[in-house]
Amino acid sequence: MARSNRPVPQGSEMSGGTATLPPPAVRPRRRHPGTVRLGNLAIGVAMPIALLALWQASARFNILPEQILPPPQAVIGVLRDGWNDGSLQANTLVSLGRVANGFLAGGVIGLLVGVVLGLSAAWRAMVQPLFLTLAQVPILGWLPILILISGLGDTPKIIAIGWSTFVPVVLNTSQGIAQVPRSLLELGDVLSFSRWSRLRSIILPSAVPQIFTGLREGLANGWQTLVAVELLGSFSGLGYMMAYGRQLFQLEMVLAAVVVVGLIGVLLYLFLGFIERRLLRWQAGRS
Amino acid sequence: MTNLLAVTNVQTTAAQQTPDRALAPALEITRVSKSFDLGGRAVQALSDISIAVEAGEFLSIVGASGCGKSTLLRLILGIDTEYEGDICVDGQRILKPGPDRAIVFQEHRLLPWLTVEGNVAAALRRSSLSKPERHRQVTEHLTLVGLETFAGAYPAQLSGGMAQRVAIARALVSRPRFLLLDEPLGALDALTRRRLQDELKRIAQDQGITAVLVTHDVDEAVYLGNRVVVMHPHPGRIGAILPVTTESARDRSNPAFFASAIRFSRCWA
Amino acid sequence: MTSLRPSLILHGRPYVIPVLLLLVWEITAHSGLVDSKFVPSLEAVARRGWAEIGDGDLGSDLLASLRRDMTGFVVGATLGLSFGLLMGFSALARRLFGPLLLVHRQIALFAWIPLLSAWFGGGEDGKLAFIAMAAFQPTLMNTWRGVANIPPSYRELAAVLTFNRLDFIRTIALPGAMPEIFVGLRSALIYAWIATIGSELLLDISPGLGGRMNEGQQLFEMDLLVFYLFVLGFVGVLLSLFALRLESHLIRWKAR
Repeated sequence: MARSNRPVPQGSEMSGGTATLPPPAVRPRRRHPGTVRLGNLAIGVAMPIALLALWQASARFNILPEQILPPPQAVIGVLRDGWNDGSLQANTLVSLGRVANGFLAGGVIGLLVGVVLGLSAAWRAMVQPLFLTLAQVPILGWLPILILISGLGDTPKIIAIGWSTFVPVVLNTSQGIAQVPRSLLELGDVLSFSRWSRLRSIILPSAVPQIFTGLREGLANGWQTLVAVELLGSFSGLGYMMAYGRQLFQLEMVLAAVVVVGLIGVLLYLFLGFIERRLLRWQAGRS
Repeated sequence: MTNLLAVTNVQTTAAQQTPDRALAPALEITRVSKSFDLGGRAVQALSDISIAVEAGEFLSIVGASGCGKSTLLRLILGIDTEYEGDICVDGQRILKPGPDRAIVFQEHRLLPWLTVEGNVAAALRRSSLSKPERHRQVTEHLTLVGLETFAGAYPAQLSGGMAQRVAIARALVSRPRFLLLDEPLGALDALTRRRLQDELKRIAQDQGITAVLVTHDVDEAVYLGNRVVVMHPHPGRIGAILPVTTESARDRSNPAFFASAIRFSRCWA
Repeated sequence: MTSLRPSLILHGRPYVIPVLLLLVWEITAHSGLVDSKFVPSLEAVARRGWAEIGDGDLGSDLLASLRRDMTGFVVGATLGLSFGLLMGFSALARRLFGPLLLVHRQIALFAWIPLLSAWFGGGEDGKLAFIAMAAFQPTLMNTWRGVANIPPSYRELAAVLTFNRLDFIRTIALPGAMPEIFVGLRSALIYAWIATIGSELLLDISPGLGGRMNEGQQLFEMDLLVFYLFVLGFVGVLLSLFALRLESHLIRWKAR
């Protein structure tokens, strides 16, 4: 009597002993943390929904006092009122404006400095060590001095945001340019490229992915710094909204501001990811 | 073109078999087929493969890329169990990896954070031996491959050939019945490859182990194997199973060796 | 003679600009062009620094900050490690917690200060909670990534050697993920220090570098602030070096 020729189903008692390990795939895939696959959407939203339910329950049954955990409706109320009287938009725009200014300043100067450092090993040797040491000092450490010098206005904030953008942009730009593959540079020599052509056609395009990494990090840094400096001393902006709400112990205002901050953070993340994918599409082959 | 096929009788289950193990093949592959799903298309990796492997023999499997020979090894190992047909050891169907079957991959796959000794000992992790016993066996097998003085070295400090020898020691330390070799010497330079071929041959003979070697190198297949299975790709199927007839045919200095090799490579069609 | 100059230039290069800057600073401070309240001279800073060290103030403040830093770091990093391992090994955990952790990651760190200070108070607990949160994210993400990126060939090896799950984790997954985990820990160390100073500046004044700087700001003591800036930079560099040294010691097997 011949054994039947049916295929063996995976996961049955006949499957591999170490059933917990995935079978060798035809194409081994590297997994990226944070990739939410659409198929798992249901389980994915289970947790947040559960948390929301708990939150609502706490408000309904007064598990935590209202000062500690205001009900969701209160937060929504703050957002709605803020939207209606325009204060929410105003604060958000002020904050975004500061980031934009700081990012622009820090980014542009950072790119220029980064290019110079990337092209010249001599300058790199002179500037880099000092720069790296300065980068070790937390931005907030500079703030008391900055505030004493230029008060609580926009200037110290934009300077701080600019600096936090400046650092990663310079480091990444200089590295990207300094690490253009030797073979590409030799190609430029073989084709008798002028200095300017070499920069434009070989060095800069080759360094673009790394430069972009620096800009992305700079923007993320700038946003983080904005929140910090607004909390330290500010009369407008989302940070001010948070500090104010905290002082009055009206946590619904704080939570509302946190929601907006989180939303902007998510939007930034998605936006930068989109740009990166567009950029990398014609840089095929690079990781 | 010769077209001998060593057809096995479709074996009954162990319950009905007479316990005369010496006559029954140690490893039986019966009408095995497997297909993959590659992006929507079904690709037939193996089609109706039947081989009976005798105890103690050295079986070489040659074929171009895509003929499914590596897939077949994985099925024998038991890390892949989705296929049609049967693969049985002593009449018992293979369900999962076990200490009786060991493999040497093309890459040495040594764990970089363990010493040479640690890597070989890893294969004994699931065994019931005592610690001194394990140490003894590890040392014994390192001596077998000539690397006993490198027991404390890390894989990063070894050459490709040495690392592969450690991988061989790791495969043998659990005293498996079957040694599977998946193009083990493919990543090495020609000189090291020749040297390791000699070592493999010697080890297999001394240990009396049953070996299944997968390679794309015809010379290697003829040099090491008692029998050679020639496989064709798309779909993976057996073209011929030919015995390496005389001992002189396995002697590289003998012109008969090259005659054999040429004869085998003509099976490529 | 000729062999001396190139090596002098080579070794001296990093110091050229700092020395120049210090010179400019000194000259500006003494020139009378700027108010000495805003630009203290170098000697003034050094004198103040010496006084701080002598009083024992610097020592005790530094210790207080470091203690806070380390406590918060250990709590946050442990949580991050545990969660990271969980996310790396369990598909269910990934699906359950993944989206939540991702959103948490996007919320700017300092946005949590008002909330945490309301929930835990502006004292020690609030600061520690904030520092722990700062250390949590980088540890989590890198541990998760380290486990998730174990090469499939190693997983196959584990199957071949008939490892059970515990063996796999202990012998292959953890050591294999170590380099990436250490990257995360180093990042967490940096963020924890930033959070330490930040929390000391933003929350209640208490012993610590940030608290001292807060006082200095309110009392308009520029020389103190400048001195503490140097201290911050110094500690930052030391922490980075310490982290690197620890890492290279524990991952000796990496062929450098």
